[in-house]
Amino acid sequence: MAALGRQVSAWYHLIPLTWARMSRQTPQKKMTASSLCKLTTASTGGGLEEVPCVQDPACRTHLPQCLLEKQSAPVDGGPWEREEVITSLLDMGFSDVHVNELLTVQPGTHPQQVLDIVSELILLGVNPEPVCVALKKSPQLLKLPVMHMKKRSSYLRKLGLGEGKLRRVLHCCPEILTMRQRDIANTVRVLRDKCLFTVQQVTEILHRCPYVLREDPGELEYKFQYAYFRMGVKHADVVRTDFLQYSITKTRQRHTFLERLGRYQTPDKKGQTQVPNPLLRDILRVSEAEFLARTARSSAEEFEVFKKLLAREEEEEPENPMPGDKSTINASKI
Amino acid sequence: MAALVVRSVRDLLKRADFAKVPRRHRHKKKWAATEPKFPATRLALQNFDMTYSMQFGELWPSIRVSLLSEQKYGALVNNFGAWDHVSAELEQLNARDFVNKAHARGEQEPESSQTAAPSPASWACSPNLRCFTFTRGDVSRFPPARLGSLGVMDYYLMDAASLLPVLALGLQPGDTVLDLCAAPGGKTLALLQTGCCRNLAANDLSTSRTGRLQKILYSYVPQDIRDRSRVRVTSWDGRKWGELEGDTYDRVLVDVPCTTDRHSLHEEENNIFQRSRKKERQILPMLQVQLLAAGLLATKPGGYVVYSTCSLSHLQNEYVVQGAIELLANQYSIEVRVEDLSHFRKLFMDTFSFFPSCQVGELVIPNLMANFGPMYFCKMCRLT
Repeated sequence: MAALGRQVSAWYHLIPLTWARMSRQTPQKKMTASSLCKLTTASTGGGLEEVPCVQDPACRTHLPQCLLEKQSAPVDGGPWEREEVITSLLDMGFSDVHVNELLTVQPGTHPQQVLDIVSELILLGVNPEPVCVALKKSPQLLKLPVMHMKKRSSYLRKLGLGEGKLRRVLHCCPEILTMRQRDIANTVRVLRDKCLFTVQQVTEILHRCPYVLREDPGELEYKFQYAYFRMGVKHADVVRTDFLQYSITKTRQRHTFLERLGRYQTPDKKGQTQVPNPLLRDILRVSEAEFLARTARSSAEEFEVFKKLLAREEEEEPENPMPGDKSTINASKI
Repeated sequence: MAALVVRSVRDLLKRADFAKVPRRHRHKKKWAATEPKFPATRLALQNFDMTYSMQFGELWPSIRVSLLSEQKYGALVNNFGAWDHVSAELEQLNARDFVNKAHARGEQEPESSQTAAPSPASWACSPNLRCFTFTRGDVSRFPPARLGSLGVMDYYLMDAASLLPVLALGLQPGDTVLDLCAAPGGKTLALLQTGCCRNLAANDLSTSRTGRLQKILYSYVPQDIRDRSRVRVTSWDGRKWGELEGDTYDRVLVDVPCTTDRHSLHEEENNIFQRSRKKERQILPMLQVQLLAAGLLATKPGGYVVYSTCSLSHLQNEYVVQGAIELLANQYSIEVRVEDLSHFRKLFMDTFSFFPSCQVGELVIPNLMANFGPMYFCKMCRLT
């Protein structure tokens, strides 16, 4: 039984890879049946009055038997259309339960539409289970226009977010599919051109800290500059420790507290400090209680007072200078 | 040949002993256009990290973060104005008079009569002082002082810990009082507020700072009180007081110039940790010993002296007290006794954070919950 299960799951894994490989290598004409039908139906605008693929000569040779047999004109959303979609979904590796969920999670959606959207996600390398989870969480994705979906897919692929990297992003930040491409591009531009991350690092950041897509690009840049100039954290470590996912307020509170306690020093030009700085994960990733007990070695009430004082300092700071100039960082009072 | 002559003349001029005016008092012709790369505030912090991490050990981080964060103020109510009104207003803001709180505490404690009864003079506080602070953990600020209905300011904002040396001095009605390093005038004002001064002599070497002292006296103390208390403001060298007015005063406050630790971490201008003032800073403890010795010499036998600084450094605090006492014993055969202030300290423990291990005197250390100080003070009695 277990062996069968493994076989089945192995087959499920095979399907998306096959699709992905085919989409990369082959021109559209050679796609398998399900996608070919999708193409032709899309050209008629989605709703199906009759079977238009009959008219397309190139299509005729590739049509599956069932389609040629049932040439009687179906109405849109007709049972055989739905059957077709179900078969295709099963082929992609979805279980019966999944198929049912997909077709019912956003009522009023044409099954072909569901298939189109789901296909794009599968082609992007997301496995069936995560696709289901994502679509259950954000059913509105099924209402996206297919052209938009295709354009977005190719953009995400360009960013390096295919091959399964999209799963986490979809889960945390499904608006990566719905938001304006210009906004994603702005974020990417800030990371690449202003913060000087490499292309691979940008992909890694989007993959691990999807919430950066929700941030204002200017604030994202400030967050990075705080890490780089104020804390002396290099690019690779910013990526590795998921620094960009933490709120700047929390980071600044904890870092400034440690700095004024004398437990954190900004490294000098050679990257050296007089005291060994605590690890970033012991500053940012741990809970506040653990941070106070282990890293800061101070009390909760002192930290509360400190947070209030810091908030007031920031309010009163006349136009916070960007921490971009290293020499001013060294000269400014702490 | 000519070059050689020129060079030797130049060397001669360099070696000639021109008047050793400290560099900071010479006329400054050129002013820097850019910020210093290594500001004095940073040098100060480095200096403190080195000395105080050893002196205070595990306590240093919490002191350090407090020094670098905004300090807490107290509002000294002006008794010459409508003080009851002002007190009520401050109560409305949720501030409390910590002096009153300490007295209440003192009355509650019966233990003072059970243990070896300390002589009243050693822990009795100077009377009539009212100073409001916000409670522990409350970071509210006082509104700036305003001119009251009687023509004088309603309260004076100061570091609440600065009141402790004046309280410890234990003024009694009719005392002749000397404030040896009075400027800018917060403690002098507090001395006047007690209403105990028959004569008050306030002195500070710097004329610009005595100017500030005068302004404060005008804004807070009505003319007739100033005349009645015979307030005399001078700008002489404090070290000379032993000769000038030896054996004269009942109470003497010696609030010496020090490295003003908190101030030095924030203010760049005239910072004593500038490289150009290094010599001045190094001879500071010696100057402090001389001032304290002069203050002791100016006290009547049986009178009291309080020595205070706003620095955390052992070298400027306990060492100076011990040095001055030794100096008086050796050079003048005068005996001085250090007064035990531990009972006094207990009265104020709820408001301030005290360092537990001072050899002599008491030290208020800054803490985020009670960000007052640093303030060191030590009370002495001149026995002979």
